[in-house]
Amino acid sequence: MIETIKKTAQSAVTALKNAGADKAAANVSYTITHEFNVDGGEFSLFRTLFDKSLSMTAIQGGRKGTVAQNRYDEKTIADSAKACLEAAASAQPDENWDFAPESGNQDFVLGEPKPDTDRLFDRCRELMAAVGERFPKIIMEQMIVSHKEIYSAKANSYGVLFSTHEGYYEVSLMFSGHEGEKASSFFGSGVVTDSLDKPFLALGSIEKDLADVEKQIETTGVSGKFEGTMVVMPGCLGSLFYSLLSDFAGEGGLLSGTSPWKEKLGEQVADERITLSLAPLDERIVCGNRYTGEGFRSENFDIIRDGRLNAFYLGLYGANKLKLPRGKNDSFNLVVAPGDRSIEQIIASVDRGILVGRFSGGQPASNGDFSGVAKNSFLIENGKIGPALSETMISGNMADMLCRLRAVSSEQVADGMSVLPYMAFDGITISGK
Amino acid sequence: MIEDLLTNKKYLFASGANTELRAQRNLNRRAVLLNGALVGNVRTEQFGVSARVYENGVYGFSSTAEYTDETVKDVLRAASENAAFLAQHAGRGKGPHKPMANGQSRTAFDLNDVEQRAYIEFIQALDGYVARKYPDLMSRTIVATADSMEKLLCVSNGTDGHSIIPRSYIYVMMTMAGADGKPVELFKVIGGGFGTFDRHFVRPEACFEEIDRLYDRLRQKAEGVYPEAGSKTVILGGTLSGMLAHEAVGHTVEADLVLGGSVAGPCLNKRVGSELVTLVDFAHTALGKPTPLPVYVDDEGTAATDALLIRDGILVGYMNSRETAERFSMAPTGNARAYLFSDEPLIRMRNTAVLPGTSKLEDMIASVDDGYYLLDTNNGQADTTGEFMYGVTFGYEIKKGKLGRALLDTTISGVAFDMLKTVDMVSDEMIWASSGMCGKKQPMPVGMGGPALRCRVTIGGR
Repeated sequence: MIETIKKTAQSAVTALKNAGADKAAANVSYTITHEFNVDGGEFSLFRTLFDKSLSMTAIQGGRKGTVAQNRYDEKTIADSAKACLEAAASAQPDENWDFAPESGNQDFVLGEPKPDTDRLFDRCRELMAAVGERFPKIIMEQMIVSHKEIYSAKANSYGVLFSTHEGYYEVSLMFSGHEGEKASSFFGSGVVTDSLDKPFLALGSIEKDLADVEKQIETTGVSGKFEGTMVVMPGCLGSLFYSLLSDFAGEGGLLSGTSPWKEKLGEQVADERITLSLAPLDERIVCGNRYTGEGFRSENFDIIRDGRLNAFYLGLYGANKLKLPRGKNDSFNLVVAPGDRSIEQIIASVDRGILVGRFSGGQPASNGDFSGVAKNSFLIENGKIGPALSETMISGNMADMLCRLRAVSSEQVADGMSVLPYMAFDGITISGK
Repeated sequence: MIEDLLTNKKYLFASGANTELRAQRNLNRRAVLLNGALVGNVRTEQFGVSARVYENGVYGFSSTAEYTDETVKDVLRAASENAAFLAQHAGRGKGPHKPMANGQSRTAFDLNDVEQRAYIEFIQALDGYVARKYPDLMSRTIVATADSMEKLLCVSNGTDGHSIIPRSYIYVMMTMAGADGKPVELFKVIGGGFGTFDRHFVRPEACFEEIDRLYDRLRQKAEGVYPEAGSKTVILGGTLSGMLAHEAVGHTVEADLVLGGSVAGPCLNKRVGSELVTLVDFAHTALGKPTPLPVYVDDEGTAATDALLIRDGILVGYMNSRETAERFSMAPTGNARAYLFSDEPLIRMRNTAVLPGTSKLEDMIASVDDGYYLLDTNNGQADTTGEFMYGVTFGYEIKKGKLGRALLDTTISGVAFDMLKTVDMVSDEMIWASSGMCGKKQPMPVGMGGPALRCRVTIGGR
């Protein structure tokens, strides 16, 4: 199968060149999904999906166009090549569009390509039974557990030809705690794994998340407004940093000129204890990308190293346009270096603050200002975790926050997609009704 | 139009089970100009066929990107096998869905698939206008986008359908330096709605007035202030009340989320809002006009009708699939919809709106001594508890009944069924929006609308 996928990618590149492209690239994939669903605590659906994808990009006279289909028979490839060149012809020329040069092609086999469907179903039943027994107040609103087997290839007109045959299991849970008519907020937890050797409850932070949500049925509000410490749980940190990196270090914020970090490469932008990497090759990341969408071989890299802005998260177009180095991969497998204090020690150091499990907020402004509701969160007072909170808002500025670090925990949670610690930041505005 | 390879496979449907066959094509066209550079120029198509079989209380599903007589049979066979596997291990001892009348719904038409050149040239004209007229902007982004869903549906019981929902929009985002030099941004959906791009966007000049208004508002915002944090009386503009209808109320009354423990479970037939609040999920016609995104039949073969959710402040219904409608002894109203051919139908909203009242907007503003008039939002999220949050991107102070300074970005929050009880004025005009995608395992185009509401919410301040 993988040879067919590789040949298809090369055929698509040839078709684009024959249609008149100066430079051409194609991605081809075939994905088989086996998926079990639980809704409202009961098994509801078993589905198998057979999906194809073909993406073709042409650059002609500096003009770029992309066409994507979910078929790749000969006629579709020929028609798509024509449509792709037509799309490119409508664009204005921009010399910064380009693809990766060939630098050593390779075929990768990652994870567990073939599913063990019976064992997967047994692990699902085991998890549902464990939740019923150990967390009786939890209602599993939805559980989606799947295995994906993916054959994919990337080719371009410089001679790049990479392929991957990979397989992994995904567990995605949405649940809430209930007692009578009282209910907690819903909470999502999940992992990506390439092994069924351990019960799902033992993976990522699933067990702790279930326990926390049972404690969030009874809540209290914060009265008034105060400035305090925000301790962010690992599961919440990823989404906060995603916004931060997109706006401050990503192509959008840099090309638009709105990034506050646009002139700060090599400068201190965060507390020196913060090192923040994108690391698809980290051994704790499951099936991380071995090559980028543009055809470069992936390498891990630090965006922030010891508090200094070390690199931007730029693709080739942005790098050429801004005359800056490109990012060494295009994953978002975030790894934050651990600190030297336990989460217990960090909590004990906080006079007044909040332990945040989920942030429900508007898209942070491009200047870094954010405000939103602290969900699945607990009050911290006098060094101890207090009651769960409701209707509590937090606000601050992302850039300022990074410079007001209180601590990073020594514990990290690896969920197959990221490796994140707890982080505590001072100077956050916390307000109730 | 999708060729019908489905109807002649009905003889393969198993008796004693519910079966759906669906062939579907999704098209997306997108062009993006960032500061005049074309950074997005993409056309995508996803096409294929799926089958779903309901047996012994559980579903089996299968899909493939190939659409031939053989693959239709293949997905039907695979879906039946998957249903049998799950029925054997986790069946619920149930028979087929309650039967409904069989019928046909044919609303598909030949789509004019607009050339990519048309999208690009149109936004280039807009970009040229913005660049010339407003050189003080830090950045400008203009997006042309169009998508469509064509579905051919064949069911063992219910309404067979062939439908198409095309929509197209232009987004304009502007950024300028605020008083402290930091960027301040604002975006607006300019025109568009149901229909192809060429139907909505003929002359770029027709968009200039809206662009000028956006710039004026951005200038006001750049000199704006943060609101004072706390519980405040506000006028929610129609865009925000539509978001409220969808996010804070709509999701909690989707029957699958009710079964998952949402706040609406214990609230059925109880007061959840003031007498001024009536909320409906419209199918295809609202207040005598077509809805923004009309749905005539859902993907389970249920002919679509309106779902009355809150009547005069009392929660009276949920949105259902055929399965949940039986559980709650309600009539299904056609809310089970799938986004791609490879997606199974889920309970989704269609065109969810708070109904207009009798107050005049100017009287509502004049009635507020110290509060805010909130006009635009960039996103909203809600909990199954009804606790909601919106990002507010534009609004004004109200001081002694008069509009004051513009607001910088902020957030509002509250608990829907508490907040709705504070609604004491409802305007007589409503605003619809339909450019967004709702997210719930799968994306889905939805319409939402509402009048201006006077109520109390918690505002974030800074």
